[in-house]
Amino acid sequence: MTAQRSLAVQRGILGALLMIGLWEGIARGFSLPAYVLPAMSDVLLGTWNKRAMLAEAASYTLSEALLGYALGALLGIGLAVALTLLPRARGFVVTAVTAVNSVPVVAYSPLILLWFGIGIASKVVMVALAVSFTLFLSTLAGLDRVDRRSIDLMRSFGAGRLALLWRLRLPTALPLILAGLRVSTVRSVIVAIVTEMLGAYGGLGWVIYQAVLQINFVQVWSAIVVASAASILFFGLVGLAERRLLFWRNA
Amino acid sequence: MLRHQDDAPAPAPEPAAPLIELRGIDKTFGTVKALSGLSARVGRGEFVTVVGPSGCGKSTLFNIVAGLEEPDPGGALRFEGRSCHAADLLGRVSFMPQRDLLLPWRNVIDNAILALEIEGRPRKEARAEAMRMLPEFGLAGFEAQYPHQLSGGMRQRVALMRTFLFERDLMLLDEPFGALDALTRALMQRWLLDVWQRHRRTILFITHDVDEAIFLGDRVLVMTARPGALKLEQRIDLPRPRRPDLVTAPEFIRLKRTLLEAIEEESLKSFQVAQENAR
Repeated sequence: MTAQRSLAVQRGILGALLMIGLWEGIARGFSLPAYVLPAMSDVLLGTWNKRAMLAEAASYTLSEALLGYALGALLGIGLAVALTLLPRARGFVVTAVTAVNSVPVVAYSPLILLWFGIGIASKVVMVALAVSFTLFLSTLAGLDRVDRRSIDLMRSFGAGRLALLWRLRLPTALPLILAGLRVSTVRSVIVAIVTEMLGAYGGLGWVIYQAVLQINFVQVWSAIVVASAASILFFGLVGLAERRLLFWRNA
Repeated sequence: MLRHQDDAPAPAPEPAAPLIELRGIDKTFGTVKALSGLSARVGRGEFVTVVGPSGCGKSTLFNIVAGLEEPDPGGALRFEGRSCHAADLLGRVSFMPQRDLLLPWRNVIDNAILALEIEGRPRKEARAEAMRMLPEFGLAGFEAQYPHQLSGGMRQRVALMRTFLFERDLMLLDEPFGALDALTRALMQRWLLDVWQRHRRTILFITHDVDEAIFLGDRVLVMTARPGALKLEQRIDLPRPRRPDLVTAPEFIRLKRTLLEAIEEESLKSFQVAQENAR
């Protein structure tokens, strides 16, 4: 099990190194201009030189993403749980939520920026909107997956709705909730960055936007490298928590 | 051996005070009549087995007695001498479904105490009680294992332990050993009799295995093809404790022949109905 895992990690690192090498070779070999593809070594060097600025931007973006993620997760899971307790409201709520989400979240960004300003609040709201939809759907699907016979068994023990929810439905839904949480990590960083590009006081999206204006493509790529590193870290941590919590499925 | 003392002076055809009694119970699902005029009674401390052709409404009967399904209006359902609705039986009957339905995220001990937890007993106390019961269920030392780490027979014993820990007068067992191999099943049957004799609960046990029905029961109820009703009620006056070689005894074979004939007749009926419907 652990041997397999470490092998997978080794392969992942090997793949990344291979890609960096290929990138470097193509950029140098064809002597591509920086606006097409700067050499990876230049990008990494640029990242190192601007590390303080990039770190600050990354922490700005990550705090927006994390805050929105937590808020959105609570909202999405909470709404799905509320619907299992109030099954009659389900048809209406699912339709309404789907209608709101039938356009890309980014389409709401001008309005959100207008309502919440270009500070951190608008990014948090945007991320929360995106994350809550994913978690609403995955939680709802997870809660529905419960076995009718298990419900009957617990009812025969005298379990009410809350006991069923807590002891049966939520644990049954946990695998899908956690999968939703894992997918949402990357989504939350993306939405935060995109919203920053539309108007912000800081963050990686803002850095990218400014760098494009200044025709500084090395810096654009530096910000992208930092953003993907942050996303991978976030994704990996949630994935790790997922495996820990779902120990019974690893067998 | 309570029953034999009861029977010794004057063998009554029915136990005097039934724990649960069904009279003229009907149950319809849409256009399908699952039960029609079913009457049965189970006395306190009795082990009653139910056999019948497949699809005869055995599970419907169980769901009604477990309180999960309400019978059609008209019949009478009495529990402990008082007439009641099926829903009143929720939480008053300990029910074990066909599949073990163990929760994969709970270990053996926490699966066993599920019903106690729902009752509101403190976990610590419930766990201590379950720990004392482990050896009797052949699970000593396995308390911290998870269901995916156990064999089919062990999982079934955990499920039975969960049912036993939920101390109710009436236990409903719905083909609990159906999924086990023949050898494990025979062991589990003897073990169940052993536990039953020590704990003295009333058991209503569904099976489609006639040998199992005779081997375990004080009485065997044979159900008719759908719509289910009582076809035959057979007392099993074989001495207890019952030993494995009982299945080759002449009385056993005689009882088995009677029961098989009745079931055969009903199976044939349901088969013919199915054929007519197909035409």
